[in-house]
Amino acid sequence: MRTLLRLSRSSLRADKRRFAGTFLAVFLGVAFLAGTLVMGDTLRSAFGTMFGDATAGTDAVVRGADVITTPGDSRGQRSPVDTSLVRTVERVPGVAAAAPQIQGAGQLIGSDGKPVGGQGPPTLAGNWITDTRLNPYRLAEGRAPARSGEVVVNRGTAEKGRLKIGDTTVLRTPDPVRVTVVGLATFGGENGMGQVTYTGMTQTDAEKYLTARPGRASSIQVRAGPGVSQEELVRRLDRVLPEGVEAITGQESARENTDLVSGQFLTIFTTFLLVFAGVALLVATFSIHNTFAIVVAQRARENALLRALGAVRGQVAAATLTEASAVAVTASLAGLAGGIGVAAGLQALFPAIGFPFPGGDLVLRPLSLILPPVVGVAVCLGSALMPALRAGRTAPLAALRETAVDTSGASRPRAVAGGALLAVAVATTLTGVLVSPSVWLAGGGAVLALVAFVVLGPVAAGTAVRLLGGPLDRLRGVTGGLARRNALRSPGRTAATASALMIGVAVVSLFTVFGASLKATMDRTVSRSFAGDVAVSTPSFGAGGSGLSPRLAPAIARLPQVATAVGLGRGVAEVDGKGRALTVTDPVALQRTFDLGRVSGDLRGLGADGLAVTRDEAARRHLAVGATARLAFTDGTVRTFTVRAVYGRSELVGDYVVTRAAWAPHRTQDSDTVIAVGFKHGVGTAAGEAAVRKVAAHYGDPQVQTRAEYARSSAGGIDMMLTLVYALLALAVLIALLGIANTLTLAIHERTRELGLLRAVGQTRAQLRAMVRWESVLVAAFGTAGGLGLGAFLGWVLVEASDGASDSSFTFALPPVRFAVVALVGVTAGALAALRPARRAAGLDVLRAIAE
Amino acid sequence: MTGTAPDVRTTSATATAGRVSPADRASADPGDPGESGASPVAARVTDAVKVYGRGDTTVRALDGVSVGFPAGRFTAIMGPSGSGKSTLMHCAAGLDTLTSGTARIGDTDLGDLDDRRLTLLRRDRVGFVFQAFNLVPTLTVAENITLPLDLAGRGGDPEWIDALVDVVGLRDRLRHRPAELSGGQQQRVAVARAFAGRPEVVFADEPTGNLDSRSGQEVLGLLGRAVRDMRRTVVMVTHDPVAAAHADEVVFLADGRLVDRMASPTADKVLDRLKAFEVRSP
Repeated sequence: MRTLLRLSRSSLRADKRRFAGTFLAVFLGVAFLAGTLVMGDTLRSAFGTMFGDATAGTDAVVRGADVITTPGDSRGQRSPVDTSLVRTVERVPGVAAAAPQIQGAGQLIGSDGKPVGGQGPPTLAGNWITDTRLNPYRLAEGRAPARSGEVVVNRGTAEKGRLKIGDTTVLRTPDPVRVTVVGLATFGGENGMGQVTYTGMTQTDAEKYLTARPGRASSIQVRAGPGVSQEELVRRLDRVLPEGVEAITGQESARENTDLVSGQFLTIFTTFLLVFAGVALLVATFSIHNTFAIVVAQRARENALLRALGAVRGQVAAATLTEASAVAVTASLAGLAGGIGVAAGLQALFPAIGFPFPGGDLVLRPLSLILPPVVGVAVCLGSALMPALRAGRTAPLAALRETAVDTSGASRPRAVAGGALLAVAVATTLTGVLVSPSVWLAGGGAVLALVAFVVLGPVAAGTAVRLLGGPLDRLRGVTGGLARRNALRSPGRTAATASALMIGVAVVSLFTVFGASLKATMDRTVSRSFAGDVAVSTPSFGAGGSGLSPRLAPAIARLPQVATAVGLGRGVAEVDGKGRALTVTDPVALQRTFDLGRVSGDLRGLGADGLAVTRDEAARRHLAVGATARLAFTDGTVRTFTVRAVYGRSELVGDYVVTRAAWAPHRTQDSDTVIAVGFKHGVGTAAGEAAVRKVAAHYGDPQVQTRAEYARSSAGGIDMMLTLVYALLALAVLIALLGIANTLTLAIHERTRELGLLRAVGQTRAQLRAMVRWESVLVAAFGTAGGLGLGAFLGWVLVEASDGASDSSFTFALPPVRFAVVALVGVTAGALAALRPARRAAGLDVLRAIAE
Repeated sequence: MTGTAPDVRTTSATATAGRVSPADRASADPGDPGESGASPVAARVTDAVKVYGRGDTTVRALDGVSVGFPAGRFTAIMGPSGSGKSTLMHCAAGLDTLTSGTARIGDTDLGDLDDRRLTLLRRDRVGFVFQAFNLVPTLTVAENITLPLDLAGRGGDPEWIDALVDVVGLRDRLRHRPAELSGGQQQRVAVARAFAGRPEVVFADEPTGNLDSRSGQEVLGLLGRAVRDMRRTVVMVTHDPVAAAHADEVVFLADGRLVDRMASPTADKVLDRLKAFEVRSP
């Protein structure tokens, strides 16, 4: 056994180059995985520390007890507290200080006239709490706001908006407020709370711009006197607080904030990255399998000699697996170290690229130290298992044959099995999509289809390469023909090499199709439901942005060119106990600029206690025209509303519509998310748009867009997501290309004599290089074509299954330009992958190559 | 190097002189039971048939061969290219399986063994010397020699191995890699390895095919000494009459059949015998 171990070790040393690809594949996958885990933990802990530090001086928080959460908003809306309660709190024994905290949305305009932030994280504004220990923000430069119009902004925001102390700019609350920056603040020692922007104003300003009426605050921050614990403080506060108001400890509040960031942002972020680490490792599986398959094929004579001399199958297989373990363990450990390095590097890099993630030591949990190497070793050994078993089955007589050519692949059983699998996959998928819509059935079918593609690869490789390489013969003569035949030599190997790329490309095209479909869906929604000529909105995404001034819609409506201008505001309420978003608007004007489908009842008569509901929601909640529903608002009031209309289409408008009159008593910080404008007959779009733009300039200069522009910008977030997805998938594609390069290198090694012969009979170095390159391009083209096909199919499945399984309708779209780009990138990358192997092949010494 | 098979084919002077009469063949075919009964047989095939391919491409590499290889003797298998001599050796050694008929090593019928038991038999009871690629390139000379023993997890007999190393004259090369040795030295390592486990029989397949004549003589000398001084059994396939002359006996194959046996061969006698086959089937 010692000799066998030694054998594995010395072959590893001798074949270092062969395993470079395997090493890199495992290394990259494990590093990605470890980096993601370590970074997630580090950020989680850093946010925890940051919130803890920032709110260390706050021992208790008094706030509204009722919270209304609507789907898609985990934080929820809390009822405000009366600022007069501060007096009561201050009188509680053991309270050293108490201050009201007013928090709302406020977006600053930078010195370049563009809004700062708003692409995801919230843009906050609030009152600057003068008690420094109760204020989570610390003044770093300048002074606190003293007069109306003076603000403190967090340093990160100031840097991003290029604002200095003394600068005057506009804060959208959403009404534009002229403000002068008088101070810069830090949060928990950082330049800000992540990407969140913060503007602190005087208490009076905050009450004026951020609340519906004075005397209301989001919460009251309380500091305990000496010797009073946070728990004790909360107990004492609870005794004096009125109903509907609660007190929690400062620690609890910090933890809630941390959980919110972790749950909303970090979990999504890390899950997302882990999925891509998984894709990268899946692709690596193929590259590794291929490397070992080739190495085993090339070592057939050596293994056969061992078998002839009496090594049993297990011994030969074990020798190969030992090699695999050595590579796996080294690469996995290196990958772990690399991943930790990447996390550390990103931590350093994020602030540099304007992503102020909190600092702090790297957090290395046992899970992130153990899981990635274990996965790496498992992937590597799993991929090497089949080749190892094949090595064990080597016939002893193979030692005596001249060369062992690996012709595995296109067997009839494989074709039959793959075909059957594909049939089952397609049947399952179609059932899940068309017959009984179910995402699970469709997803299962999609996975089966992937497996079927991999199984059928070697069968398809022959035909595909012949087809793709057809033009090569004519274009490139003998060189092209040789390249094509080389790619055809071992269909199994060609397919396995291409499979890695296929999976990478398939995931890329899946996301491309899904993104394009979402866009098409958005496009269709806008063109179907939006009957206005222009839309006014603020470009924002996620929780950011401040919305539009509710005064803007009436101002636009007064324009001589405009027939209708309707603003859509957003409110929340519990409808019969379930948190729901309400659309606050003028229902009469709404009907003129939005296509609401078939309307039963009358939208004109909603009044202050009327409600309009979509038909789907009405059916779910058993509501009909004339029925009543109890709406509980964040201010604690409960009102009975009567359903006065049921409409057909929910896209853009939402499930519930109430009038402004109905919402007014319960409003908080009012804003509209979009204003739809319809021009009078005979008014040109350009003229009307210019007029609207002029009015809007006075209200914080929001975006004025035509219908088409509005549709496009609604899908803006999708492009951003796609860009990120592409960047992450680049790693998987890189691993696949390393696989191609590796296979080529090994193939060249195998054909040394043959290449020498070709050179001897007059093939130039350039021709030889071209031959290798074209072979690589053919394999890459095969993988890319398969990936595009599979990705398009999976994308279709995803879109159709989502369409059938949920109540929103999706439109399938295949983006030809993007597909062409992916194809081009795949083929070009194939040519790049061949660079090194081709150079090596061309550098062969002719006489030595033949003598070998 | 004289009298290789292609050379023989071009000489047609003795067209009919050496032709095998049907009577000769009849007496040779049963594998000379008289002699094999006299001394114990290390390896034997009976009615061996080996068919390669299917349908139109069928090749009968062995067509009913029965032959025994007596223990303690050096037997050479000769015949023109395609006569089935290598196939005979592979089947007799358990490297390949017969289509019909039986092959035995000692009393063990190889047809009864599964892959694993066949492997263990090769490891423990048979030694091999191939024409080329005899050594594992990544192992040292010493490791190559003890490879079958290491595979079996046996220590072997250190004195015997030590003696073998001296016989093949490679004591100063034990730590070297095969690539650092000449072809002749490599083949001597292979011979040492073949005898390392004291197998019942050593099969050598064209052991001198890739060597110059001096190195070839050395290797053949080693095989001969192993038989005569150490009472080992060697079966060697060769097409070189000079190599065959080192054997105690030569068996001749043609077209997958055993056609003759010759005791105490010399190079000339063997060459003459070969010429007779060659002209018979031009």
